[in-house]
Amino acid sequence: MSWKTLDRNQQAVDPDAPPVLSDAIRDRIRSFFDRYETKRAVLLPALHIVQNTLGHVSWQAMAEIAELLEIHPSDVMNTISFYTHFWTHPKGEKVITVCRSITCEVMGGSAVLDELKQQLGVDEHGTTTDGRYSLVTEECLAGCDHGPCLLVNEKMHKCVKPEDVAKILADSGNDRLSMERSELFDVPAGTSEHALSASSSGDGNIDTTSDVREMRES
Amino acid sequence: MPKIIIDNQEIECRDGVNVLQAALEAGMEIPHYCYHPGLKVVASCRLCLMEMQMPHPKTQEMGWVPKLFPSCQTPVRDGMICRFDSDTVKQNQANCMEFFLLNHPLDCPVCDQAGECHLQDYSYHFGHAESRMVDQKLKTPKKDIGPRTLLYSDRCVMCTRCVRFTEEISGTHELCMVNRGSRAEIDVFSGHPLDNPLQGNVVDICPVGCLLDKDFLFKRRVWELNGTSSVCPGCATGCSIRVDQADNHVYRLKPRFNPKVNDWWMCDEGRFGSDYVHDAKRISSPIVRRGLDETTPAWEDMPEILRFRFEEHVREHSGESVVAMLSPFMSCEEGWLLIKFIREIAPNATLAMGPVPMAGEDQSFPAGANGDAVKFTILKEKCPNRKGIEQLIASAGGNTLSFEEFVGQCTEGKFSAGWVVGGYPNEWVDKATAKIASKFQLLVVQDLFENALMAGAAVVLPACAWVEREGSFMNAAGLVQPFERAVQPPDGARHDGQYLYEIAGYTGLYSGERVRELMAESKADLSVAYEAPCKPVHAH
Repeated sequence: MSWKTLDRNQQAVDPDAPPVLSDAIRDRIRSFFDRYETKRAVLLPALHIVQNTLGHVSWQAMAEIAELLEIHPSDVMNTISFYTHFWTHPKGEKVITVCRSITCEVMGGSAVLDELKQQLGVDEHGTTTDGRYSLVTEECLAGCDHGPCLLVNEKMHKCVKPEDVAKILADSGNDRLSMERSELFDVPAGTSEHALSASSSGDGNIDTTSDVREMRES
Repeated sequence: MPKIIIDNQEIECRDGVNVLQAALEAGMEIPHYCYHPGLKVVASCRLCLMEMQMPHPKTQEMGWVPKLFPSCQTPVRDGMICRFDSDTVKQNQANCMEFFLLNHPLDCPVCDQAGECHLQDYSYHFGHAESRMVDQKLKTPKKDIGPRTLLYSDRCVMCTRCVRFTEEISGTHELCMVNRGSRAEIDVFSGHPLDNPLQGNVVDICPVGCLLDKDFLFKRRVWELNGTSSVCPGCATGCSIRVDQADNHVYRLKPRFNPKVNDWWMCDEGRFGSDYVHDAKRISSPIVRRGLDETTPAWEDMPEILRFRFEEHVREHSGESVVAMLSPFMSCEEGWLLIKFIREIAPNATLAMGPVPMAGEDQSFPAGANGDAVKFTILKEKCPNRKGIEQLIASAGGNTLSFEEFVGQCTEGKFSAGWVVGGYPNEWVDKATAKIASKFQLLVVQDLFENALMAGAAVVLPACAWVEREGSFMNAAGLVQPFERAVQPPDGARHDGQYLYEIAGYTGLYSGERVRELMAESKADLSVAYEAPCKPVHAH
């Protein structure tokens, strides 16, 4: 890669493309403005809102968020790349996160991961062709006493054995939380969560340099 | 002033500085990447860590704390005791250097920064000789991040100085950090390139060869360059700069620290605005015309010729018919010498101010800042010495004119002998001004490039660019700053100061300092030049 030069003068966002953030999303973001002293502080809620509504935060969405919050698009990119939670390209309806840390590994985590890969037909960072699942690994899910464990969206599955994988995947409620979410987290009202975004316009063929690129290539 | 002890050496430091700054000011060499005195402290590079003494929580006995502190983030306190010469500190420095060089491509032979690179210096002084890295190095691509700048990610040490510069000084926020940990990189949002009037500074503050100037890329190895202290003539701010030249060619301009004017910065307009110096169209030899006769006399004869021609004119006409137009691109010394010559020959000669180029509006940075928040200003007045020349003309007294009045009165035919100084990098003679040439019987034109006045001039003198001259400029704030000669004038030309010095009746070699001494008798406030303090060698 070191012999290649990426041209950053090229537009990441098609200026003529229709906006990806609907008025409803914009209003929802604006409703947070009163809570903070600066508009910049609304960046994290805005990213959550956009990801929950559109499934991921595209380049165009980043630029539109920046415009809305009156900050530079690079500030949005800076923040978004800090958190692995945010996706800059489309992800599946549900994200399966498998722990790759030591306790789960000792308890047979890699067998579970292999089984998942085989049944979903994707590798790590991959999304199934039907768009239902994306598969990623994380360092620790804080469930070491119940390893191996995995997350389906935010629902924790503990003590998973390879033979349980098929059952978990078949269960349509595999991401239903047993406890209600904390009030602190603002789920946007009246929006369908985790819907796979049909629109990837403006995402373009921008060369990225890191995890994102690897994810795309894999 | 607090006194602190570093490495058993007592040093006196300024109030409110941090230990690193105090140590650097005391001349110590402390490695650092992320710390820059003009930017906020982030303490992320961990190279400047030190040991410190604190009272024991139980016994209250002073002793070395068994952990390291970032010296850039620790403010000085009277009586503080710290050390950089312990094994723990040195071990940390060596480990940090090994870490910085883990993925470094070691491409110094083709790197522009080689020779002034702090990876090279620190690796040599503080690092290990070899790396224990056995895995494949991470390879990251180069990025074309703007019209004038390239980013070689693989050389980056993630000090984030450049990011902080765009946030705090230019206020334009183009640069950001993407990803974190071993995959962290500096980047821009594609389509929003690094393109602001101060962007060249990110190349200066980059301690390694990551950010590179496209203009200077692969032009010259830095150890072949010779630096000369100078002042930027681009606008009336008068930033202190260093002119880097080799083989009589100016390769780049770099800002020089000056707390009274530009701090550590300069604008792109000044930085990249010196191309005219090496323009092939510059005139290089004097021309003297008498009737249809046109000669190029030797420089030695020039003072006599000019003195004779002007004296002859004053004898035949009157002193009142003589006018001199001074340019805001002249140094104070040159202006003073010319005024001295003209007023000696014709005490009632008129002095006029040349046109002052203006472009746009004043620009303040960070973008949109005002009052105390302003960290850098680019002025709309695009000449270095309007104020100095105006003061010289005012103090000389007698008849004085503005440029408009000068053109008006010349058109009316009030003057028949004149000396017009140009020296503007751009075309400055407009149609109305060009017409005045025919009104003169004796016209001396002194300029960088051929202009419309020269055809009718009795004497044409080549002017020199500021890098070929020596003297002082007074900036918009009234600060007189000296600049030195960096390169020789084009073949055949002589620098303005030297021939004006001889024309004004002095012998020997011109030097700015000597003329300032002579000026002291009549113009005390212009005769003392302010020189910016040198910053410590290891502060970068």
